[in-house]
Amino acid sequence: MKNNDQRSSLFWFAVGLAVAAASGKYGLGTPSAPGPGFLPFLTGLVMMGLAALVFFQQAGGRVKNGLTDLWSTKGWTAVVMVMGALVLYTLLLRTLGFLLDTFWLLAFLLRVMEPRSWGKTLIGAALASGGSYIIFQVWLQAQLPAGFLGF
Amino acid sequence: MDILNNILLGFQVALAPMNLFFCFLGVLIGTLVGVLPGLGPVAAMSLLLPSTFHVSPVAAVIMLAGIYYGAMYGGSTTSILVNIPGEAASVVTCLDGYQMARKGRAGPALGMAAFGSFIAGTVSIIGLMFLAPPLAEMALKFGPPEYFSLMLLGLVILTFLAGGSMTKALLMAAFGLFLGLVGMDIMTATPRFTLGFYFLTDGVGLVPVVMGLFGISEVLINVEAGLKQEVFQTKIKNLLPTLKDWKDSIWPILRGSVIGFFLGILPGGGAVISSFVSYAVEKKVSKHPEKFGTGIIEGVAGPESANNAATGGAFIPLFTLGLPSNAVMAMLLGALIIYGMQPGPMLIKQHPDLFWGAVTSMYIGNVMLLVLNLPLIGLWVKILKIPYPVLFPLILLFCLIGVYSLNNNVAEIGLMLVFGGLGYLMKKFDYEAAPLVLALVLGPMMEHALRQSLIMSNGSPAIFFTRPISLVICLGVLTLLVLPLLPWVKKKREVVAEMGEDD
Repeated sequence: MKNNDQRSSLFWFAVGLAVAAASGKYGLGTPSAPGPGFLPFLTGLVMMGLAALVFFQQAGGRVKNGLTDLWSTKGWTAVVMVMGALVLYTLLLRTLGFLLDTFWLLAFLLRVMEPRSWGKTLIGAALASGGSYIIFQVWLQAQLPAGFLGF
Repeated sequence: MDILNNILLGFQVALAPMNLFFCFLGVLIGTLVGVLPGLGPVAAMSLLLPSTFHVSPVAAVIMLAGIYYGAMYGGSTTSILVNIPGEAASVVTCLDGYQMARKGRAGPALGMAAFGSFIAGTVSIIGLMFLAPPLAEMALKFGPPEYFSLMLLGLVILTFLAGGSMTKALLMAAFGLFLGLVGMDIMTATPRFTLGFYFLTDGVGLVPVVMGLFGISEVLINVEAGLKQEVFQTKIKNLLPTLKDWKDSIWPILRGSVIGFFLGILPGGGAVISSFVSYAVEKKVSKHPEKFGTGIIEGVAGPESANNAATGGAFIPLFTLGLPSNAVMAMLLGALIIYGMQPGPMLIKQHPDLFWGAVTSMYIGNVMLLVLNLPLIGLWVKILKIPYPVLFPLILLFCLIGVYSLNNNVAEIGLMLVFGGLGYLMKKFDYEAAPLVLALVLGPMMEHALRQSLIMSNGSPAIFFTRPISLVICLGVLTLLVLPLLPWVKKKREVVAEMGEDD
C-alpha cells in the first residue's frame, strides 16, 4: 500500500460492507414495496463502490505517503490529551456533577497548550465553570447534572 | 401590490421589539463567531438552538439567520487584520486585505468590507423577495420523484464543488445518507442501526454531529498546530473609505453582489465559491490585474460583497423547496422542523409572517451590522487578542453545554466526541464534512421520496426518467458525475483544489 488515501478507503469499504450486510436483517422488501433495509443496503453498496474507486484511483498515482506524514509535529500529544480529557469528562459528568467536573476539565485544558502558573489556572477554571453554571443553570435553567454533591 | 403588502407585513413582524432584539443578538453573535477563528456559524447555531425553544419560531429563525450573515461580516475582520480567515468564505479576502493592513490601510479595507457587505446583502434580499414566491409556486408541481432527483442533484452539486477529490466527497455524502437512515423507519417503525442505544431510535442528532465535525475537530486541529495568531499592530484609522476607494470599489461590489446571489442559490458552499469567482472576475476585468494580491481595495470589495450576497441566495432553496443548500441551511431546516414547521413550497403561504418577517429582518440586520461593525472594530480586535490556549477550553465548554442541554443526555456528548474524533481524522485524510452533514439532513427525506416513488411506479426506477422535470434534473446529475472525467474540467478542479490548499 502506497498512500493514505488507499488506507482510508479500506476503512470506508469496511464500513460500507458492514452497512450492506446489516441491512439484510431489517428486510430489503421488493422494488415495488421497499423495506426498511432497502436504501441502507443500496447506500452500503455505493460506499463500497466509491471506496474501491478511491483505492484504485490512487493505485496508479505517484503520491507516496505514510501515516507518520500526517502526524509529523509533536502537537498530536496535545490532541490525545484533550480528547482523553473530554472522554473522561463525559464519563464522570453524572457522578461528579457539572460544576466539579467542568472545573477540573478547564484547569487541565488551560495548561495543555501553554504552561501557566497554577494560581492563574485555578482562578481561570473557577471563573469559567462558575460563570457558565450561573448563566446556564441559574439563569437559563438548563438542568445540568447535579452529581453526588448536589450541584 | 401583493409584494408591497407582504413587505409591509414583514416589517411589521421584524420591527416588533422582541424580534428586533433577537435580530440584534443574532448579528452580534454572528459577527463574534465570524471574528473568532475556529468557531463558525454552524457550530454557533447548533450551540444556541436549544435556547431558542423558549421563543417564537419567527424570533428564533430571525436570530439564526442573523448569525449566518453576521458571521460573513465578522469573517473579513480576521482576514484583514490577522491574515487568518475567520470564515472559509473570507479566505480570498486575506490576499489583498492583509496587504492593505500592512500598508497602513486596514481602516479603509475594513470599512469597504462592511459597506460592500451591506450593499450586497441588500441586493440579495431584494432578489430573495422577488424570486422566492414564484419559485415556491413552481415547486408545488413537484412530486416524490422530482423531490428525490432534486435532492440527489443537491448532493452531487455539493460534491462537484467540493475542494478535493469528488469521489471522496461522494463517499462522505453516502456515509451521511446512511447516518440519516439510522433510527426508526418511517413506514414500519422498525429501529435500525441503533447498536442498542435507545437515544439513537430518534436518529443521529444533527447538533452533536455538526458540533463534533465542525467544532471539536477544528479545536483539535488548532491545538495540534499550536495556533498562535498575531494581530497586525497598527492603529486603525479612517474607516470611511475615500472617494477614490468608492470609485474603485463600486463596480466590484455590484458585480460581486450578482455573482454571489446566483451562486448562493446553488447547493454547496455558495459563499466560499462565490468569493473566489468574484476575485477571479475582478482580476480578469481589471486594467491592472498584476496589482491584485498587493493590497488593492477591489480585491476586498468584490469577494466580501459576493460572500454576503450568497447568504441571501442560499435561503431560496430552503424557503421554496425545503431543501438546504449548505450545512448552515441544513441547521436552519432542522430548526424549522423542531419548531413544527414544514419547510417547502407551502411555507410562504402557510407562514407568511415567518418568511417575510425573516427576509425583512435581514434588511434590518444588515443596517445593524453596518452600525455595529464600524464603531465596534476596536472591540473585535481586542477579542482577537485573546490567546488561543485560553480561548479553546471555552469553545469546548460551550460545545459540551450546547450538546448536553439539547436533550439533557450525556450520551449525546459521547456522540459529539465520536464525530469530533472522526472529523479530526477526516481533516487529516482530506475528506470534506459538508456533504456528510447535508446528506444526513436529506437522508430521511430522500428515503421517503424514493420509497413513495417506487410504490407509485410499481417498483420501476423508470419513473425518474419518464417525468419531464425529474428527467431534466437526472440529466443534470449525470452531467455533473461525468464532467470531472473530462480532461480540461479535471485540470481546472485540480487547480482550484491546489488554490484551496495554498490558502
